[in-house]
Amino acid sequence: MATDLRISNISKIYPGCIANDNVSLQFKSGKIYALLGENGAGKSTLVKILSGVISPDNGEVFLNEKNLKLSSPLDAKKNKIGMVFQHFNLFETLSVFENLSIDATEDNKSLRLRINEIFKKYNFSIDLDVPVLNLSAGQKQKVEIIRCLLRSPKVLIMDEPTSVLTEQETEELFISLKKFCDEGILIIYITHKLKEVLSLCDEVAVMRKGKVVSVSQTQNEKVETLANKMVGQKLAKIKKKINISKNKDEIFKVKHLNFYSDDPFETNLVNLNFSVKKGECLGIAGISGNGQNELFQILSGEIITPNTSIIFRNKEIAKLNPKQRREYLMAFSPEDRISQAAVPELKIYENVALNNFKASNFFEKGLVNERKIKDHSKKILSDFSVNTDNVELKSQFLSGGNLQKLILGRELITAPELLICYNPTWGLDVGAINYIHETLIKINDQEKSTILISTDTEELLKLSDRIAVIYKGKLSKIMSSEEVTSEKLGVLMGGGSID
Amino acid sequence: MALYFFTPFIAIILTILGGGIIFYILGFNPIEALKFYFITPISNLYGFSELLLKATPLCLIAIGLSFCFKSNNWNIGAEGQLTFGAIVGGGVALLFYNQEGFYILPLVILAGAIGGMIFALIPAILKTYFNTNEILVSLMLVYVSKLILDYLVVGPWSNPEGFNFPETRQFSDSSRMPLLFEGLRIHAGIFLALAAVMLSWFILYKTYLGFQIKVSGLSLKTAKYAGFKGKTMILVVFMISGACAGLAGVGEITGPIGQLHRMISPDYGFTAIIVAFLGRLNPFGIIFASLVVALTYLGAETAQIFLQIPKYTGQVFQGMILFFLLASDYLLFFKVKILSLKKNELRH
Repeated sequence: MATDLRISNISKIYPGCIANDNVSLQFKSGKIYALLGENGAGKSTLVKILSGVISPDNGEVFLNEKNLKLSSPLDAKKNKIGMVFQHFNLFETLSVFENLSIDATEDNKSLRLRINEIFKKYNFSIDLDVPVLNLSAGQKQKVEIIRCLLRSPKVLIMDEPTSVLTEQETEELFISLKKFCDEGILIIYITHKLKEVLSLCDEVAVMRKGKVVSVSQTQNEKVETLANKMVGQKLAKIKKKINISKNKDEIFKVKHLNFYSDDPFETNLVNLNFSVKKGECLGIAGISGNGQNELFQILSGEIITPNTSIIFRNKEIAKLNPKQRREYLMAFSPEDRISQAAVPELKIYENVALNNFKASNFFEKGLVNERKIKDHSKKILSDFSVNTDNVELKSQFLSGGNLQKLILGRELITAPELLICYNPTWGLDVGAINYIHETLIKINDQEKSTILISTDTEELLKLSDRIAVIYKGKLSKIMSSEEVTSEKLGVLMGGGSID
Repeated sequence: MALYFFTPFIAIILTILGGGIIFYILGFNPIEALKFYFITPISNLYGFSELLLKATPLCLIAIGLSFCFKSNNWNIGAEGQLTFGAIVGGGVALLFYNQEGFYILPLVILAGAIGGMIFALIPAILKTYFNTNEILVSLMLVYVSKLILDYLVVGPWSNPEGFNFPETRQFSDSSRMPLLFEGLRIHAGIFLALAAVMLSWFILYKTYLGFQIKVSGLSLKTAKYAGFKGKTMILVVFMISGACAGLAGVGEITGPIGQLHRMISPDYGFTAIIVAFLGRLNPFGIIFASLVVALTYLGAETAQIFLQIPKYTGQVFQGMILFFLLASDYLLFFKVKILSLKKNELRH
């Protein structure tokens, strides 16, 4: 039986942003549809509306010309709309079978039979009696999918399903999805990964800023065309020109950096020595968990190590805390945006006040100068194109990209001589990544220096003038990025050596 | 957000309902009993003054505690800080037992605040420099301070003409809080509490210290990243908290009590924890909460007199308030829906 799902003029407005602006889309079974967009484009909101988690302010959903009232997830289930979220909704300590039987309407015996049928049909194999916590991410996802299949869905919505999967698991997932599609299940696939859209989907709808900006056949699209639609402008190819700066002054110099920790989850650092020149970007590559966290915290002053010498602009700063280091014009952008660089429960201007130093006059004689902080925050919001101008907005309402722009803006608006950032584009979409890369290059052009600790080799090769690799707390020799290739980096990151 | 300040009211209503049920089970007419509990005590001017009298120390201590709790420091030992404040303040008052002078009372009050502050510094210093758990240390110190008080009132400080009763001499009039009205026990200490409310509002919302407290309470990682002096802040919030508890202690002994003896506080220091949370750690919320909780003290006394129920029912009510507050906070984040009991709808 053919299924026809129609979304008509859906709108949803949150304080400070329009998540869905008059969205209309039509889906027919037999095809896999991609819903593509950056973080914060409104995909998740639309999906939540379809699955009954939130109600739209306006608009209607039709399934086979029947107007659906979706006021709870239960309604979506009743109407045979299945949904697999990015984060799994499984009871970790219960067995697979128990998880599947929780909301089943039949007795255990016939349920087991039906599950086995599904296994056979789609070539799944999962032990039904092991606890879910023993499963891999891909297997957990399969359990979620089976849960949907048990209800013989007409529509199956997958929200960013591959973000936790290995390549092998992704391939398996795609095979299954194609099978479901052949059987007449309408599949809506939400993602911001362009390659997946091209390899899996038949039709693609692109969303931007809450609106549907294009609907097209994937065979007519290429990675570049989709990327441009998604971001809304032609993506300029960023390539940094390498700073040939042999004679420039070293403005930052680290000697004998050692760190020893009793905590088995921390990595010890062994005798790191390096320096950064004026206007240069020093990249530090490595697989995460090789000491980057500890290195960042020592460079920012959150951890003070004995016997280390850190010279910045000819002053010894190894004993200073982050606030004191900021006074010397250093700035820091940590990896963890949500619980370290900013506090989601605080308003934007309060988060701006976290980067407080004497010249900013945010706090005069111990008192809060709210007006000054707010003016300063407004300037950051506009200078760094954060998509709100409301400084009273709680930061939790900002998308990842916008939050990162706010944080970078906060750190950069003081014109620091050295910015230390750790995975600045982690989890962001293409548009935001591009913006942040451009910003980082601009800093170097203005003769300011950066240290970029990143697990993304592509990013490092694009932005760094010199690169070193950190492996198990030790730093490789520092190489000019012209002599480095991603293969070489890969070898070093895996603990090998090159000559 | 509005709900956040609304749940304390739900908790209070549930407490009253819960109390009614308990009275009913005990064989009392619940309406009557609740009337004795919550209305009779404040139906005259004297009762109202007693309410303010009891609310004063609760409010003061809770204000202090809010600084600790907001910044993730769990000072449970306000009762000890109150006791030690009373010991130090009382010691100064005894020093002047036969003297007159306008300067005596301020000295006594100051000594009380400093006493509480010093006593609160013990868990704070142990926490910052030796990584101890402040909950345990501050709690255990409560018993230390009570034993010190015990020793003093039976030993060196006991009244030479006191027939070996465990109490000190009466303080001179110059060490006593001035009474606000003839015939009522309400005293000038209430102004200390109100001043603490204003001052704490100002510090929490208008100063750099307040900003640091807020950030540290939400995320210690962020506080570290911003370069706040974490250790200094812990010491400061404990000092503020201890000083407030010390003031409450000295207010009791120079106000209604007038000397030192074993029972200077009916666990105000512990009850203030409930007050702080019922008031949402907000200075003005705490005023309201301290009045409500003070009423449970008075109600318990009236109930003991008129209904012959032990006055410890007051603690039952205080316990219920905290219980219902925590429960409604927890349930606040859930949507309660009544479903028809068809099997296929019994999901999640």
